[in-house]
Amino acid sequence: MELKVWMSLCLIFGSFAMRIGHVYASGMWWTLGTAYTFAEDQIFDYPCRRIPGFQNRQLRYCEQNEEFVPTVAEGAKQGIDECQFQFRGRRWNCTTIEGDESVFGKILQFGSREKAFVNSIFSAGVAHSISRACSRGDYIGCSCDTRHQGPADNPHHIIPNATWRWGGCSEDVEFGLEFSRKFISPKEHWTRARVIMDRHNDEAGRKAVADSLELKCKCHGISGSCELKSCWWQMVPFRRLGAKLKDKYDSAAEMRVVRQSDPRGRVEVLEPKSLLYKPPTKADLIYYDPSPDYCRLDPELGSLGTVGRTCNRTSDAIDGCQLMCCGRGYNTIRRQVVERCNCQFVWCCKVVCDECVRNYEVHTCK
Amino acid sequence: MAGAILENLSTKKLSFFCLCLLLVQIACFLVGGLVAPAPSSAHNILTTKCIDPSFSLQKWFQPHGPHACDKVRDFDEATKRGIFADWIVFSAQVPHRPNTMHRSFQYMLGVLVMDIGYSDEDGKHLAPNAAVTLVVRLGYKDTDDGEFQELVSVNETRKLECVFPFTEDKVGYHYSCEPLPLFELGSVHHKHYLINIRMPITKDKATGALTNTNIGSPEDLHVVIIHQNGGFTTVWMSIKTIMFPIVLLITIWFWRRVKTQGKPSVLLERTIFALAIIMSILNFPMEWLTFWVEVPFMTLLSDIKQGAFYAMLFSFWIIFIGEHLMDQTQRNRLKVYRRQVASIIFTFFCLFIFDVCERGVQLVNPFFSMWNTDKGYRLAMAFIILAGICLCSYCLFLLFMVYQVFKNISMRRATLPHMAKARRLHYEGLIYRFRFFMIFTVLTAIFTVIFFIMSQVLEGHQKAGESISSVQYTSGFYTGVYGMWNIYVVAVLVLYAPSHKKTASTSNGEGSEGSHVEFDIDVPSEGRPTDPVVAGSLTEAYQLLSKTATE
Repeated sequence: MELKVWMSLCLIFGSFAMRIGHVYASGMWWTLGTAYTFAEDQIFDYPCRRIPGFQNRQLRYCEQNEEFVPTVAEGAKQGIDECQFQFRGRRWNCTTIEGDESVFGKILQFGSREKAFVNSIFSAGVAHSISRACSRGDYIGCSCDTRHQGPADNPHHIIPNATWRWGGCSEDVEFGLEFSRKFISPKEHWTRARVIMDRHNDEAGRKAVADSLELKCKCHGISGSCELKSCWWQMVPFRRLGAKLKDKYDSAAEMRVVRQSDPRGRVEVLEPKSLLYKPPTKADLIYYDPSPDYCRLDPELGSLGTVGRTCNRTSDAIDGCQLMCCGRGYNTIRRQVVERCNCQFVWCCKVVCDECVRNYEVHTCK
Repeated sequence: MAGAILENLSTKKLSFFCLCLLLVQIACFLVGGLVAPAPSSAHNILTTKCIDPSFSLQKWFQPHGPHACDKVRDFDEATKRGIFADWIVFSAQVPHRPNTMHRSFQYMLGVLVMDIGYSDEDGKHLAPNAAVTLVVRLGYKDTDDGEFQELVSVNETRKLECVFPFTEDKVGYHYSCEPLPLFELGSVHHKHYLINIRMPITKDKATGALTNTNIGSPEDLHVVIIHQNGGFTTVWMSIKTIMFPIVLLITIWFWRRVKTQGKPSVLLERTIFALAIIMSILNFPMEWLTFWVEVPFMTLLSDIKQGAFYAMLFSFWIIFIGEHLMDQTQRNRLKVYRRQVASIIFTFFCLFIFDVCERGVQLVNPFFSMWNTDKGYRLAMAFIILAGICLCSYCLFLLFMVYQVFKNISMRRATLPHMAKARRLHYEGLIYRFRFFMIFTVLTAIFTVIFFIMSQVLEGHQKAGESISSVQYTSGFYTGVYGMWNIYVVAVLVLYAPSHKKTASTSNGEGSEGSHVEFDIDVPSEGRPTDPVVAGSLTEAYQLLSKTATE
């Protein structure tokens, strides 16, 4: 089984090994998400040095934490799925392009709004899945972080069990956020607009995770009174994070690149394009390249076009045939399908259904 | 009670004594706030979904390690693989590797949090008033590689209280459910615990309906483990260990002083002695035992001790105020206070019964809670409401008595100048003692409330991702309030112990042995007399007193 996985991985990624260049470092690790499958007893084995785009410090951090790579991949997969869900009715629908090392094609080589969203959803996905794995106790490395809560006599040498015994450990989600920060956004190249934008949006994704945590409490004083109360943080389902980041995408701030000279050489800085709007906060997404309209196939821009996409005839929104097909019109096909209906559901995994035949029309863009 | 030490203490000595107590109080607060960690911590453990087609209640399903179970990541995968709901075992190992539980954790609570996803599909809705039936096994082991031993295995039902707070974009969102209480262990004696939870689909014997069919589509189960922090236990027990001998020694000193008076002890002295004894019992650091012996009833015991202390404290207040009523009735017998004391005893008896029902049954079945069943809920509420009514009537009576005392004081004040000197001094002593006590008690009570509110407010504004502040207000509140009531008892013992000096007593002023004796009417400054006549008479009394002293 393992051999089969390896073979398929080699096929998908074989071409990258030669092409690891300097095009853009950020984002190529997303391929982990397309490679990830969790099924039965398959072991996801993907060494750090095979992840495209990883260099120096990032590679070192990855190798130090190689056991986490499957969970990172799970997070990336989660990010891709969520992106596709949130953009399901849009002209750009987060299509993954097989064999492309940046997963979504050339479109993400620009500093576009879409790239901003993808960056944030991936860093949120990694933080989310690492936190979950930690909260499940999957890894020894994250079960108790090194924040020192005991007597402050020796803050550098910490024995996990001693910290744990003295005052408990901090939340797993903090480990997840810190891991996502170190794994995705290494502290390098602060001088290029692309890097500044990526880092900002990565951080916005993590901030969405941190800000959406819910505090739950339990009272356990005498006779159940609230004299004693213990609280813990609970993560929201990833769908809610996706929706939140989608809102941020809709209200993303457009920036402009300002080149300044600096003792280190030429430095690029991002400034808000319009002074009429409030400057973006850390939780907002930023971009500086305008997006194409994604109507036509344009390999140079990485736009796939909307030809052949299904659309909703009755909708006036972007998923409606008018907007989706960019005014080119649409084809209608009648279809008959056998669907499941009148289902009886037993909580986990058993659904007993009847079969119903349904006719409906499918509209596709010309 | 004739002349107490309080009356015969010079202002200087009294202030010094109060200052010492204040320093101890601040020390107690700081130790809790700066040295100790938070009193308890909660760990959110996401359960691993194990597969068990054999439905075996003999086997243990561990999420990790060499004996890890066969897992499934999510239910989409389970559906694809044709796994039935009955096969899924939610497994949580406590604590996460590489940590181990420690005996200083004292108690362990388990709370179940269900992530129930919203679904548009038919039959996947969560029914209102749904209940979930759980088959839970709790096991323990003390070595890293040993087998788990069963602690308890139960079949429990819990009511789900969920709401769906969203109006749009429903798919993929979760219901917001109240955390379900799962179990309470009175001692954490073992290093590793394992919880295996199943949600079986079986025919209910009573109703014949299938269990767990209307609970929507649960996606994940979290087990939240709450336990006392080891650091807090250490600090707490250290404070107890230091307080215990001090309070005990002062109690012995007090009782010897009462005995050497040469006359039988009065009711108030006996009450103070009883209060001190109960405080000492509360102080006795019995919890050290848990480090070596498994004492599952420790929480029950400490609840009882605490209840006994409060009952005694309330009785003491009633008796103290009663003894200072200054009407002509001769009290000095417990019988006079039987109604009040009975109401206090009844209050705490109600709470005691409730506690024994709750924690007592938990000794046998940690998953039991009176709150979980409708009948138990009503019974528990009945006990608590009854206790509340008794407590309220007690408070009303206490306030009424305080009002009476103040009324009597102002009456006496008016007549003071016309009294014989000995009588006047007797009453002035009573008034002074009472006022000092009132101020001291009210301050202690107010500080308890203020500390409580402060700790709740300061801890309540915690935000995610923020570093935890270096001051632990809740711990500070606990140690501070604990220290405060100890100080209260010590102050009562010392200040209200019978004095050997006879000056201020009723001995007709014959012995003016204490040249430095001072009758300081300025201490209870809050109640400074406003009536010029009274004020004048008091200064007169003061002058008279100093005269006798200089003679």
